Amino acid sequence: MAAFSRRSFLTGATSVSFLALAGGLTGCSSQVSVSTNPKELVFWYWDRSMTPSVLRDAAHGIPGTNMFLNSQQPPTANWDTKLRTSLAGNAYIPDITAINSNVSLYFPDESLFVDMNKFGAEELKDNYFPWKWEYGLTPSGRMCFFPIDSGPTGFYYRYDIFAKAGLPSEPEEVSAAVRSWDDWIAFGQELKAKVGSYMLIKSGQLFNQIINASPERFFDKSGKPLYMEANSAVKQAWDITVKAIKAGVLGNQQLSTDQNAAWISGKTAGHIEAVWWAQILLSTAPATKGKWRLASQPVRAGNSGGSFLAIPHTCKDPEAAYRFVTWSQTAEHQAQAYNEVQLFPSAPAALKSGLMKDASKGFFGPQNSLDFFTKQAETVPAAFISTFESIASFFTAEITNVEAGAKTSDRAWEDAVNETNRVLQKNGVQL
Amino acid sequence: MTTQTTGVPLRAKPRNTPIAAVKRGSVRKSWPQYLSITPFYVLFLVFGAFPIVFSIVISFTQWDGMGKITFVGFDQYRFLFSDSLFWQSVLNTFIIWIISTVPMLFLALVIAFLLHQNIRMKSFYRVAFFIPNVTSMVAMAVVFGSMFSDQFGLVNSFLQWFGGTSAGVQWLSDPWGIKVTVAIMVIWRWTGYNAIIYLAGLQSISTELYDSARVDGAGTWRIFSRITVPMLRPVILFTVIASTIGGLSLFTEPQVLLANSGVPNLGGTNSAGLTIVLYQYYEAFNKFDFGYASAIAWALFVLVLLFAVINWRLVNGRKENAFGEAVPGLFARMAQRSKSKKEV
Repeated sequence: MAAFSRRSFLTGATSVSFLALAGGLTGCSSQVSVSTNPKELVFWYWDRSMTPSVLRDAAHGIPGTNMFLNSQQPPTANWDTKLRTSLAGNAYIPDITAINSNVSLYFPDESLFVDMNKFGAEELKDNYFPWKWEYGLTPSGRMCFFPIDSGPTGFYYRYDIFAKAGLPSEPEEVSAAVRSWDDWIAFGQELKAKVGSYMLIKSGQLFNQIINASPERFFDKSGKPLYMEANSAVKQAWDITVKAIKAGVLGNQQLSTDQNAAWISGKTAGHIEAVWWAQILLSTAPATKGKWRLASQPVRAGNSGGSFLAIPHTCKDPEAAYRFVTWSQTAEHQAQAYNEVQLFPSAPAALKSGLMKDASKGFFGPQNSLDFFTKQAETVPAAFISTFESIASFFTAEITNVEAGAKTSDRAWEDAVNETNRVLQKNGVQL
Repeated sequence: MTTQTTGVPLRAKPRNTPIAAVKRGSVRKSWPQYLSITPFYVLFLVFGAFPIVFSIVISFTQWDGMGKITFVGFDQYRFLFSDSLFWQSVLNTFIIWIISTVPMLFLALVIAFLLHQNIRMKSFYRVAFFIPNVTSMVAMAVVFGSMFSDQFGLVNSFLQWFGGTSAGVQWLSDPWGIKVTVAIMVIWRWTGYNAIIYLAGLQSISTELYDSARVDGAGTWRIFSRITVPMLRPVILFTVIASTIGGLSLFTEPQVLLANSGVPNLGGTNSAGLTIVLYQYYEAFNKFDFGYASAIAWALFVLVLLFAVINWRLVNGRKENAFGEAVPGLFARMAQRSKSKKEV
């Protein structure tokens, strides 16, 4: 203790902390890109959103350019907040970034991203599913969000439970038995009566998936609400869901603990979700291996999830970034992505390439899930997802209230419309 | 420190005034101390004061977190006043606060009283009761989610086994079930913490008081209600204030308990678990409406301020009224009243 006085200790401690502070503050002198190396393009993605081998190759050099790629994974939990923060601060912005299926949230700020049509993206349009391409176009027609994977949906069901109930249980039979939503509900009522199982976990899931399979959604491209119009797609989805609730075929399992237990125990014998859900099911309920099958959902398949690539306006070399974007999403690389991290292609050529191997490993018995979803992907309709859809989430919240018995369906519909309209007006939408 | 009203050079002036000289000297002498505390203030300015001030500015604008910031005047606050969802979140917050705080503090007091007795393995119990407070809330939400799960929960299985209703309670989808479950989580987490504080308060009460009460023939309940509780009043007030602040800013419990994949968390059925801070989080990080979220934050600030004033009045009372007369605090007045009643 006596080796140095208090004063010299304080002086020392102070200079150390000042050094640290100075280091921190000089970092604040805005550096627009994450990396100052003019040859390095920084790419933000999250685990399993890109093909690892493609990223490894690009790290050595992006083909056709003299740039190389530095792939980074920021924390996934606050992905959008992180990207927004760097864009708002105009500092530490990646040169290329992945964005999840919520791209429409970025439409109001489309000027912050490079229009890839400038480099001729338009010519590649026919290489991808038209609906997937459509999702990435901003309302003004700029191509800011390039397709990565897609999420065609289907009706997952428990083969063993359907068979036990004496109902159609082979995929073709089930697909044929549930061509319309009325058939699907009637099928569910029989299932419920015979073995006590539900068709689906909750009303919100059914409602959202009906919307996901509809060519018309909540708003048109000009931002005009469509749900109030007579016989709108939203109202139809609502009425089908209410009918399913009243028929007692939905499980009212709102939270994941209940849902997982329901699927494992067979209390809920089905689910309507995208191709990627198979991987989740595989890890959530490994004991049910071989007991699941896939059937076409009523009417047509929808799309749920699937991400995009974007080039922020601050990118060092937008052309090289564009080269990377298109090169990483060729049909061949998308096929590779499916084999490595089970990303379902958005390029039909990848599905026909014969390079992909079914990833379900017998989870669906003898059924090939890859063939199944390839067929579904062809029926997905093109639709426009508006930036205001985050506000329209009141509809999902209100249909849940109907299911929980907290509100009548008329009252809940009225509340959903009023709440949505009120917040729309606050956001400057004329009704 | 010095005002430059004369033409005398600044440097020369302090030398003539001994007080200033002392002050100046002390600053010069203790600069390492001042210097060593500056990092905190610099960091506070950057990461504490600036965001606070900026959130006031943001609350008068419409901003999605990255694009253009548009000034909208009082529009956000006007919307706030007419926003039924906001008022519902205020109501929810108060209901959850009441149904959690009242049983929690009572339970804590009883536990502290029992821990204060001469029992075996005292330290073990003290640690045991405090452990919930240092457990990860996110991990606990998973456990609570499984226990209170509507259709597969342990609690419902237990109730059924006990001969209760066959359907069980919809803990996580009934509006009241949600509030009760959130409150139980709060109680579980904070009872031990408050018990330890009460225990510290109990230990400062002289044992002579208890001894003489015993000699006078008072039983345990009489001792508890007539000696322990009155002597603990300042400590109880502290815990009430602390749990008011904690209760008004309740967020983690409903956020992790009611998180629903694919749907933004609006507090479950009928938004029964939507607290003020959860609503603020929803507006900021689900809707990316930072202007409105900031307005909610400042509305919460006003509410907390209101309660701080009420608490302050309860503890201290107004020192004097408009006529300059001393006015005792509410508690003091209540004590006065009950005392005079007894004397009569």
